[in-house]
Amino acid sequence: MTDNFQTVLAAEDPLATEHVAADMTQKKLNDDLLKMISWPGHVWWTVFIIDLIILAIGGIALRNEIVLGLGVGGWTRPVMWASYITNFVFWVGIAHCGTLVSAVLYLFRSHFRRAVYRVAEAMTVFGVLTAGLFPLIHVGRPWFGYWLIPYPNQRNLWPNFRSPLEWDVFAVTTYLTISSVFFLVGLIPDAAAARDRAKHPLMKLLYQVVSFGWRGTNNNWKHYYGAYIFFAAMATPLVFSVHSVVSWDFAMAQVPGWHSTLFAPYFVAGAIFSGVAMVINLLIPIRKTFKLEHIVTLDHMEKLSKLVLLTSTMVGYSYLTEFFMAWYGPSKLERDLFWYRATGHYWWAFWIMFTCNVIFPLSLWFKPLRRNMRFLFVLCLFVNVGMWFERFVIIVTSLARPIETAATVYYKMSWTEAAVTAGAFAWFFMYFLIFVRVLPAFSIAEIKETLVMPKRRNSA
Amino acid sequence: MIMKLLDRLANPPEGKFHGVMGVFLYVDDAADAVRALRQAGHARLSVISPVPHHEIEHALEQGPSLVRWITFAGGVLGFTCGMSLCIYSVISYPLVVGGKELISIPPFMIPAYESMILLGGLTNLIAMLALGRLPHVQGRAPYDPRFTEDRIGIWVPCGGEEAVKVREMLRGHQAEEVRVHE
Repeated sequence: MTDNFQTVLAAEDPLATEHVAADMTQKKLNDDLLKMISWPGHVWWTVFIIDLIILAIGGIALRNEIVLGLGVGGWTRPVMWASYITNFVFWVGIAHCGTLVSAVLYLFRSHFRRAVYRVAEAMTVFGVLTAGLFPLIHVGRPWFGYWLIPYPNQRNLWPNFRSPLEWDVFAVTTYLTISSVFFLVGLIPDAAAARDRAKHPLMKLLYQVVSFGWRGTNNNWKHYYGAYIFFAAMATPLVFSVHSVVSWDFAMAQVPGWHSTLFAPYFVAGAIFSGVAMVINLLIPIRKTFKLEHIVTLDHMEKLSKLVLLTSTMVGYSYLTEFFMAWYGPSKLERDLFWYRATGHYWWAFWIMFTCNVIFPLSLWFKPLRRNMRFLFVLCLFVNVGMWFERFVIIVTSLARPIETAATVYYKMSWTEAAVTAGAFAWFFMYFLIFVRVLPAFSIAEIKETLVMPKRRNSA
Repeated sequence: MIMKLLDRLANPPEGKFHGVMGVFLYVDDAADAVRALRQAGHARLSVISPVPHHEIEHALEQGPSLVRWITFAGGVLGFTCGMSLCIYSVISYPLVVGGKELISIPPFMIPAYESMILLGGLTNLIAMLALGRLPHVQGRAPYDPRFTEDRIGIWVPCGGEEAVKVREMLRGHQAEEVRVHE
């Protein structure tokens, strides 16, 4: 009995080949996917330079904040977790979808993931790298960031392991490590394929290192898939635990609008929602630019859009449940807070959130719209705007109107925070732009497994 | 100079091989050849392919990978280390926070759980590399770039009279190419 889950899957399940063009051969697949790795053209360089300019502006703003102090941010006591923690939660959320697509759908034998999971995984790794910046920026003295990590020291002081903030350190660092390992392990056979075609010695050496000198022997494959299923099995609970832990940063505090057992599933659904929307936003231009519509087909995009629709309904249900519980529950503070969210100073942010995350995605009930790439792209941009505002609404409204309502303040984002926020997007896209040109952005080996293999008995 | 160095690093010199390499296009031909070679007593053969093939795996009669047990041990070690760290920290510096017990198991479960996944994942990686004999610095069989495209290679380490027999056997199973390395 073999433990090679992947090949058993392809052999036993005819659905495995349903998304692949009938005339696709193994060699053509290599040709089509490895052509992405080439010296970039003018469009790529223009986008990359604009990206670097935005990143530099963000970097200058950050330098300003480090030199002049956190006062240059727009925080007003008691709104001390303003845009930076909004950004942190947003980027952790974005990072979630990659592992969902690569690990959870792998365990559920959902074959459409094969064509899209590498982009989603890369997005995860770059998303966590972006998210990880914000707690460090937010503490004001990023060079002391290592204090968050438990390490033996002369005063025998340890972090407080009962605090959700320390749980977050464990959750986010574990997530970054495991998702990076999962991403790199997935790359091994494809990096070997890139190595075998690379002309430049530097690129050849890079792929040789990334592929660990992979040969594709039966022994390599046996242990590769033996381990891969365990990466998936371990990454799956991580998907659900990490954003649950992030939600407990809020839910453990006795702040109106935060102290709810709903937060963990609500945050996980929201994370998957925004993450899938971001994957769609990344995949649509990639498949168009590199003419990969026959590999990332409309069927794949439609299935992703169904995931957006599903998670949108879960998020919408959570919004309504929050209001219902506030109305039904005994706490007047909670009721007042939710009324304030929808009608108070930040009513505009609340309604942007609700419209983008609940109303607009309802259009995905219609099949022609799910298969219209322009529409889907714009819709997913709105979803990401809505999801950024969701975190803003949760954080800022609850802090701006504390239990002592006399302390209510109005928080306005400063230019420094806006520049750092824009810089974070540029930081993420910088990695992504390099990734699509240097590493195989689609899993050659896994897509190849769905092709009909040449057999003499069949051809005879 | 630098380019030469890079080139040398990227293309490490192949060792000397003794055996026969057969290159196949058809999966069923390759699986039949593997079966025949194993019946003839060539248990040390290896198959090189762009993707794993179920038929060939069956012909090779490979057992399950041992990775799972190493990963399990890593997970158990991770949980133990995470929980021990939390308990040790409150014993070595007793400080009551928020009126909670010093050793508060429910909140400690979270760092322990994350440590379990972290160490489980890392041992999984190490086990995969060690058992799969990666990184592959110097090949144990001749290599052809077509093996990451669409061809399947069967390498049988042997020499002399045996190599001639293996060559004929591979040709008999419709190998596209057969090369004898002496």
